[in-house]
Amino acid sequence: MKNKSENISLGLFVLIGVVPFAAAFGYAILYSFGIIGVVNTGFTLEFWKAVIASGEFFKSFLYSAVIAFISLLISVGGALWIILKFRNQLERKFLSYISYLPLAIPGVVAAFFTLQLFSKGGFFSRISYNLGWTETTVEFPDLVNDAYAIGIILAFTTIVLPFFVLLFMNVYKNERIQELSILAQALGAKKNQVVRKVFLPILLQKTWVLIVLYFIFLLGAYEIPLILGQEAPQMLSVLIIREIKQYDLTKISEGYVAAVIYTVIVTLAAIMLFLPKKHGAYET
Amino acid sequence: MIKKIVLVVILCAALLSCGSENKKDNQALKTEDWETISKSTNGKTVNFMMWQGSPVINEYINNYIIPTVKEEYGVNLQISGGQGPEIVQLAMSERQAGITESQVDIVWINGETFFQLRSIDALWGPFLSKLPNSQYINFDDPFVSTDFQQPIKGMEAPWSMGQFAMVYDATKADDPPATLDELEAYIKKHPGTFTISNDFTGMTLMKSFLAELGGSPTSLNGEFDEDKYVKLSGQLWDWVNGNKQYFWKEGTTFPKEQSIMSQLFANGEVNITYGFSEGGVEERVTSGLYPNTTKAYPWKNGTIKNANYLGILSNATEKAAAMQVINFMISPEAQFEKARANGMDSNTILDVKKLPQQWQDKFKNAPGRQYGIKLEELSEYAIAEPAPEYMIRLYEDFRTKVIEK
Repeated sequence: MKNKSENISLGLFVLIGVVPFAAAFGYAILYSFGIIGVVNTGFTLEFWKAVIASGEFFKSFLYSAVIAFISLLISVGGALWIILKFRNQLERKFLSYISYLPLAIPGVVAAFFTLQLFSKGGFFSRISYNLGWTETTVEFPDLVNDAYAIGIILAFTTIVLPFFVLLFMNVYKNERIQELSILAQALGAKKNQVVRKVFLPILLQKTWVLIVLYFIFLLGAYEIPLILGQEAPQMLSVLIIREIKQYDLTKISEGYVAAVIYTVIVTLAAIMLFLPKKHGAYET
Repeated sequence: MIKKIVLVVILCAALLSCGSENKKDNQALKTEDWETISKSTNGKTVNFMMWQGSPVINEYINNYIIPTVKEEYGVNLQISGGQGPEIVQLAMSERQAGITESQVDIVWINGETFFQLRSIDALWGPFLSKLPNSQYINFDDPFVSTDFQQPIKGMEAPWSMGQFAMVYDATKADDPPATLDELEAYIKKHPGTFTISNDFTGMTLMKSFLAELGGSPTSLNGEFDEDKYVKLSGQLWDWVNGNKQYFWKEGTTFPKEQSIMSQLFANGEVNITYGFSEGGVEERVTSGLYPNTTKAYPWKNGTIKNANYLGILSNATEKAAAMQVINFMISPEAQFEKARANGMDSNTILDVKKLPQQWQDKFKNAPGRQYGIKLEELSEYAIAEPAPEYMIRLYEDFRTKVIEK
């Protein structure tokens, strides 16, 4: 009976989780080689050559990776700092509610808020104008659609940081870090030694898989970079969708080439992450 | 148990594939008389894919067109959002999947989309001459009968007419620029207050600039000319790259779409904007987005004047009912309602002189725009849409030769 229900679960997982993904991936591969597609004429390497030669995809990949890394660094670092400094206050219902609220905000809304707050005609620009700090909108610094992706990083951080606060809080309790810290201090460890040797290693070791998964998630984010990013370079998903929806129908296959390369890289990363059984990885 | 699941999946697939059988021979529709077509549409559901980015257009469709076609013809009109690329993507995907009954019947298109849909044979027709209300349209007007230099050949029904116009706030610019030289001088004096949107509208402005560099309003007329394009676009990108340091955000990025341009103008980030439907001034001032000191003006060498159209997909499920809806949408009553200055404010596609006297009077006596410029005032500055290849190339080159530089 147990075997049967396991088989059914596996069957459903394959049907819902694997088949559509595999079908879409197969479709993208065929499209990228010109085998399918209304305006394509048959097998060709032309689209692959064009994507590799232009270098735009790789630039975009690097750009996305840097943004995802910086956003995660700020979010994880910020969350660790909050847990370290304000753990007790977070136990209070009201504060914890406020700090977890951004978790419920969809990406597109976070992007819209960021735009309204930080654009040159936005909320802070108006305050700065009324306080006499700036005389024209042009003088307000570029914080959205900007060259350094400040807007994207801000929005990513708004969404991701509360998640890590929540996660670290749970790990902190479950792994009894407080007790271990007291013990370390009783054995003569200084405060910063407790942080470096007890607090950080336990929290990071138990959550690194989720941190890497979040990196992959941010790498492929769409709405936030679409609204807050520049027109070039663009983050991966924005670039791929742009290529697939372009007016020149003969070049749509280039979008599928980019999608295939991206999928292969992310899948390989995921396999490398999960294949060797990591003990102690924190699972939620 | 697994066998049962597999059986259910196979059954579902079989049912779905049965549903994609075409109901009737659509060729027969082309020879049927209008009365027969009209009688067959009661109770049918028609899906209309349109751009839903304007509240006044949505209002007109949802609160006027939908209830009226339901009441007068018993047709259930349903709207789905999508424009140019989405429509083409849908048509392509359905063709690839061999779907013979599209989820969409009517599409709102012009120019490149018409060109693309024709190139993949995704439009049904010709159907225009079937529609009784097409008698009120002046097909001798090249701005109506030619869509981006392509004769419409009855494959799409003209719906609205508009001209591209420049827009400025009179309190911020006394003498707004109307030539490339004047624009260069203006942005050097007021850096950061002008930009080009990386969308259909921005590329339409580029076409006006291209025509100016070509030396006359008619310099881009005729079929696509590669040599001409390379020469003129080279000059255009030199001009843009040479001046983009004076653009919004010093030309490091460009607004993605027109709604962002409108916001930038409303916020005071840019002093000059532009757009179709004579710049869209009336609606945006009336709704409070733009200050009432906003004015539209012509570009000296001219701006693009064009029409937009309604087409029927070749795999549309309800072609007869789609024709019924389109015929109503180009009727004097629907066009009069659409032209209301405090409503959708869209120029009629109909030739008022061809209408029955009562409608002629109605159109003539309708209250005009309070803030926006009239289409007639721009008529001497009207440029015909160049061939669609110009737009497709401008999109690509604007990205590779300006944005990514």
